[in-house]
Amino acid sequence: MVKLFGNLRVSTIPISSYSNVPTFQYSVLLPYKAMIEIINLHKSFGDLAVLSGLTLSVARGETFSILGKSGTGKSVTLKCLVGLLEPDAGEVVVDSTRVDIYSRKALSEIRKKTGFLFQSGALYDSMSVLDNLTFNLSRHHKVTHAEAKEKSEHYLTLVGLSEAIGKMPSELSGGMRKRAALARALVIEPQILLYDEPTTGLDPITSAGISELIRDMQGRFGMTAIVVTHDILCAGIVSDRAGVLKDGLLKYTGTLNELAEIEDEEVKGFFRNPL
Amino acid sequence: MPKRSIGFAQAGTQVCLSWFRLSIMKRFFIHVYELTAFSLRFFKEVFLPPYEFGEFADHLQNFGSRSFPLVSVIGLLMGLILALQTKPTLARFGAESFLPAMVAISVVRELGPVITALVVAGRVSSGIGAEIGSMKVTEQIDALEVSSVDPYRFLVVPRVLAGTIALPLLTAYADLLAVLGAYVFMFISGGMGWQLFVTSTVSSLSISDIVPGIGKTFFFGYIISIVGSYFGFRATGGTEGVGKAATSAVVFASFLILIMDFVLVKVGILLFE
Repeated sequence: MVKLFGNLRVSTIPISSYSNVPTFQYSVLLPYKAMIEIINLHKSFGDLAVLSGLTLSVARGETFSILGKSGTGKSVTLKCLVGLLEPDAGEVVVDSTRVDIYSRKALSEIRKKTGFLFQSGALYDSMSVLDNLTFNLSRHHKVTHAEAKEKSEHYLTLVGLSEAIGKMPSELSGGMRKRAALARALVIEPQILLYDEPTTGLDPITSAGISELIRDMQGRFGMTAIVVTHDILCAGIVSDRAGVLKDGLLKYTGTLNELAEIEDEEVKGFFRNPL
Repeated sequence: MPKRSIGFAQAGTQVCLSWFRLSIMKRFFIHVYELTAFSLRFFKEVFLPPYEFGEFADHLQNFGSRSFPLVSVIGLLMGLILALQTKPTLARFGAESFLPAMVAISVVRELGPVITALVVAGRVSSGIGAEIGSMKVTEQIDALEVSSVDPYRFLVVPRVLAGTIALPLLTAYADLLAVLGAYVFMFISGGMGWQLFVTSTVSSLSISDIVPGIGKTFFFGYIISIVGSYFGFRATGGTEGVGKAATSAVVFASFLILIMDFVLVKVGILLFE
């Protein structure tokens, strides 16, 4: 991709890489408005190619769900976005900053405006729920300890955990841990929020509750979000658009209604077995 | 079975064995290489802000005060057993009066530092390996990174600093208790009064016993914490990976403590004798 001026770039990637539209090999002019842009991303672990040319663009304020079977590279994609994994090839651009080039400072700036909800919650188990929230705030966001505490309490109340402020993560149930982790991701008021399997391991009622909560927070704060999931109900509640990750590529993208019409056994499988 | 087949089978077994030995050796050298790189990184990171004073204080307390009861018992027993073992031999030569000096020199120069380090390695190195390992497998280390917190600076540097400072203090304390243990034995067996014991102990020790003895525990403390952290960071999989990290941390730390002791004894002899 060649930068011309401002946000206007010439993409040298064939247009077929951007979607499942049948192929014509012309370069296109892209107005660089997307908040998250992944172009031709490749990632392998040893001989196992996980991502082989994944391309994705998420507009500012949009929520995009990545669907796919286990082991198709959904979480790997998210980790490449925040520099936890280094891509083998391709471009990862977040808010006009190349993440894959690995400038520690640039990466740090991106991470400060990115919230990440891990699959397991990843709450720091040596800290109380409140400290989990204030930890990041008081280190990087130039707030006093009192302000950090006040803000953390506010976000814990928003996710319905006001009673768990002083508890340790080990004292929380699975659903409460997910909500606490969501509050931790939200408390820095990120511009981008990445969700890695937000409903995995939860019962259907709690899953729906978490999905509604995510939708509610997206509505309130207008963040750009990517939700990695294989829970079609969650994707239905939270996402504006979705894509199906298969063979290392986003094979199909569109609204969930559009995806439901696709004649592919794997895609149909998601809609047939919603949980 | 025809002779030729037996020959092939033996050759095959030999090849497999050689390959197995090579792969173990290879793994060992990979560990040594990576551990060296991991350890050297500490000397760069320790000078870079932000300085984690709170974490350092917590780990100093964890390393020091929580090892206190264990080290107390070990120190006391060390002196008691040493006196119990050596008294009959010394008595045979009519040299019982040398017992305080013998216990003091053995404990301060060698037994105190090494036994304390091995005991603390069993408790602390495995603890660090398991703690960081479980943070690794539950994505807490990734969460730190995503929060723009350098996990090495936040998790490793304070632990290693705490270990390097706490172990010499614990060793000095264990040495004192070992001497006390020896006195208790001498007192019970009716051999020696307190004053004579203390005079004999103090006069037998010189700076060339104390400095190398305590000095090497700075290295042992560093080894205990850095090895625990290293195996914690390498943990993969679930609880099995955490268990492996804890076990490997103790084994490798104990092994390195003994190798380092050999090197430092040699250096001590060159410098002080």
